[in-house]
Amino acid sequence: MNAAGLRSAALVLPLVLFLGVFFFWPLATMLTTAVSDDAVGKAFPTTAAALSSWDGAVPPDAAIQTAVATDLRVIEDRSVLGDAVRRLNSAVPGFRSLITKTYRTVRQNDDAPVDLTAIDAQWGDPAVWRGFARAVPPYTDRNLLAAVDLQRDAEGDIRQVGEAASANRIIMVRTFVIAASVTALCAAIGLPYAMLIAGAGGWVRTLLLLAVLLPLWTSLLVRTAAWVVLLQNNGLVNGFLQTIGLIDHPLPLIFNRAGVVIAMTHVLLPFMVLPIYSVLLTIPSNLMPAAATLGANPLRAFRHVLFPLVLPGLMSGSLLVFMVALGYYITPALVGGAEDQMISSVIAFYATGTANWGMAAALGIILLAATLALYAVYGRFSRTPPGFGV
Amino acid sequence: MTGRILRTIYGAAVVFFLIAPILAILPLAFTDSIFLSYPINGFSDRWFRELVANETWSRSIVNSLIIATSATILSTSIGTLAALGLRGDRVPLAGLLRTGFILPMVVPPVVLGVGMQILFVKVGLASSYLGVIVAHSVLCVPFVVVTVSASLAGIDPAIERAASSLGASRTRTFREITLPLALPGVVSGAVFAFATSLDEVILTLFVAGPNQRTLARQMFSTIRENISPAVAAAALLLIVGTLVLAVLGAVLRHRQARPADTA
Amino acid sequence: MDAFIRFENISKAFGAQTVVDNLDLTIRRGEFLSLLGPSGSGKTTILMMLAGFVAPTQGRIRLDGREIQGVPAHKRDLGVVFQSYALFPHMTVSENVAFPLRMRGVRKAEISERVTRSLDMVQLGKLGARRPAQLSGGQQQRVALARAMVYEPKVVLMDEPLGALDKQLREQMQLELRDLHRSLGLTIVFVTHDQSEALTMSDRIAVFESGRIEQIGPPEEIYDRPQTRFVAEFIGETNVLEGTVVSLEKGVARLSAGDGRTLLARTDRDLAAGQRLLVCVRPERIAVSDDPGAANAIPVEVADSVYQGDHIRLRLEGDGVSLVGRRDRSRADVPTGTRGYASFAPDDCALVDA
Repeated sequence: MNAAGLRSAALVLPLVLFLGVFFFWPLATMLTTAVSDDAVGKAFPTTAAALSSWDGAVPPDAAIQTAVATDLRVIEDRSVLGDAVRRLNSAVPGFRSLITKTYRTVRQNDDAPVDLTAIDAQWGDPAVWRGFARAVPPYTDRNLLAAVDLQRDAEGDIRQVGEAASANRIIMVRTFVIAASVTALCAAIGLPYAMLIAGAGGWVRTLLLLAVLLPLWTSLLVRTAAWVVLLQNNGLVNGFLQTIGLIDHPLPLIFNRAGVVIAMTHVLLPFMVLPIYSVLLTIPSNLMPAAATLGANPLRAFRHVLFPLVLPGLMSGSLLVFMVALGYYITPALVGGAEDQMISSVIAFYATGTANWGMAAALGIILLAATLALYAVYGRFSRTPPGFGV
Repeated sequence: MTGRILRTIYGAAVVFFLIAPILAILPLAFTDSIFLSYPINGFSDRWFRELVANETWSRSIVNSLIIATSATILSTSIGTLAALGLRGDRVPLAGLLRTGFILPMVVPPVVLGVGMQILFVKVGLASSYLGVIVAHSVLCVPFVVVTVSASLAGIDPAIERAASSLGASRTRTFREITLPLALPGVVSGAVFAFATSLDEVILTLFVAGPNQRTLARQMFSTIRENISPAVAAAALLLIVGTLVLAVLGAVLRHRQARPADTA
Repeated sequence: MDAFIRFENISKAFGAQTVVDNLDLTIRRGEFLSLLGPSGSGKTTILMMLAGFVAPTQGRIRLDGREIQGVPAHKRDLGVVFQSYALFPHMTVSENVAFPLRMRGVRKAEISERVTRSLDMVQLGKLGARRPAQLSGGQQQRVALARAMVYEPKVVLMDEPLGALDKQLREQMQLELRDLHRSLGLTIVFVTHDQSEALTMSDRIAVFESGRIEQIGPPEEIYDRPQTRFVAEFIGETNVLEGTVVSLEKGVARLSAGDGRTLLARTDRDLAAGQRLLVCVRPERIAVSDDPGAANAIPVEVADSVYQGDHIRLRLEGDGVSLVGRRDRSRADVPTGTRGYASFAPDDCALVDA
């Protein structure tokens, strides 16, 4: 690398370090959090080591039982033990009281040999030991499985989570549906509008463009709050409809699916219009007239000439809108009802609500993977359309 | 003829759809009712006074200014350096770096927020001004890099060669030629960064403590829990602030293009 | 001969591509040398190496005896005029021209005076306060010139500076540059792909092809006595006839062309019988008459005659060859279909390798 390359590298380095630490590291942390499960390993190191050679016999041999006692006798940090107990309890209910009892007993008589089944009969239950063994490795797929409503049963096979608990898939489907609806609506409104801008000139074009750019310049919160004002029961839309006599009672337009879709469409419309418009700009303005001289009526000309050329712009706009809508948080949170919460709300709930970092991280990873996959596809679409070799 | 009328109606309808909501909320900043709804029966400035008098609101405004300014300074400086380094693709892996620098714009903020929260707790940055500033900067940096890069790309490379041929050393060329020509892009980037930081809610939700509540964060809570015209007043403040900033930016860029006074 | 600038064994490769191939070139003090050639022939790279923007892969460059290939561009004290003019858009015309003087630490009062003189020299005296964007292409070009010369460099390098101007302005600038060159006694190295431009302005022309110099010499020599087929065809129009050497007598070569025809060409080369060579003739040297005994006569029919304003372009077909001829307007018209003989004197053609 020559002198110029070294200089450039030095200039880029601060940002590389900054993002490495404060962007990639948090994402990596999330990855490890989603699959990490070191609570039990931290509290029961000796047992963990001993269990690695467990033959499956119940009750296990003396070495393992002694290991359990050793760990319980040695441990001082109550919060570490607490984390481990919580983790074990979520695998096999009743573990909490079992450990508490065992803890007290073994600490009363240090160094005495240990017979765990004598302390409590539950230590003879194979399910208890299987649960313990499975909780010991530092990595787990529990969270990732739970994120798609799967879990491992007592035998270790993957199966569905029960009806009551399986909410994630429903929410993912819902997120997909909302994002898709918003995308479709944006495309339906945005494509004709973009064509209007491209066809206009002078002050009209400036006005139309300004109308698209101004919302982008306005705070998202302001726009969302504005929709609350418009859509609430005593809001402007209902007020207007009632005044002109179209309805008698206010329509429920907010805190439901309709409100979310309308508000999100409003916010994301510029992201559809601008890519389409930029592609339209590259299309020579004499193509449609040329088609006309060759005998095509406007509809056929559109179908065979304009639409294929504008398609890449439509695709990249749609991908962009869909990608952003998937991860959207603010608008659904403020304008949607309980049935309209998207996956980002669930992630936030697990993180700030129940502090279940594993679940939050697992769901986050799924959302991140979907977004990155879409971004990769978007990257290929937003290359210049073929045939205009710029 | 009908085509023309239809097009005009459609265009007007979409423009209305885009602009009306923003225009609808602003007048409510001046209502004297405690409800954020029409009709406005009496006008008053009580809600602006509320923003100043109420400690929660005033504190959040101050926080927003501190954090946005700091994040702007941080992201603009690092981002500009990076854009200069990326110029001409002289650095190895330039394409990869460019994509990497844009990623903070692509990744869903909730995902980043969770990651940051977990990490910041571990390194002791949670609930601190520094943590929030850093989080905002991560989000602002892509805007700076893109804007400054675009501005740099518009500089004819022959101009710097010309300066060199006329006797200017590398540092002098940078100071007298490259920097002044790149400055409009840097100013734009800074304006974008500031506006982005002002508007940022999600990352703040995850990494800020109660003492670092920003205006946007406060607005979010208010809309969610107890919506009042204070939100409209704050919205007006935000819009005016962003407009002032944009105008300031435009003025700075324009003055840059004017001839400096020489003897 | 005053060897002011020397390129010794200069090569430049970009990756696997060799752009300049083991080149030797000597530039004399005070001469106007044009580097002429098609795009990609290496001429601009040579200029860039001299300016210091590109480092040679191998070889040495000497300026007035000193080796300069390692000297950074901003210390070489040369004048450079770029194809895009490269004026500083954020400075006025005066500030642009003052820039190099500031870099050299000249006193403010002196700067002001020299800038005025330089702008007057290019007839832009009144436009000092304007910005480059407010000037026309021709005016910008003059500012670039004024800026490159205000510090009186010994050598001025120009990279196709007239390319963006329209025909009339270009021709006017060509003459002005020539006058400036004569009055200031500068050494000018001028890159162009336009051969008529090179012919107009230069003391010598170096014709480039694929990283090598095909021929270097004064314009008349390049035009009338090309040494390779490439030079013959790149400069002006040329007719090419194949022949095999039969004999060489007192500086006139006799070649046999197809169908028993004989070609006579004057040459100062040493030739062997059986050598396959090309005879190159300019269209304006071909006469059309009904005399079969004229030197190098070929029976032809006028296949086409196209009006070109100041002359008529003839396409002459016959005997397996197709020739381009030229008819002066003052001469009698030669209508299409006329049969006759195309001929040219042995002195009026060039002999080059096939």
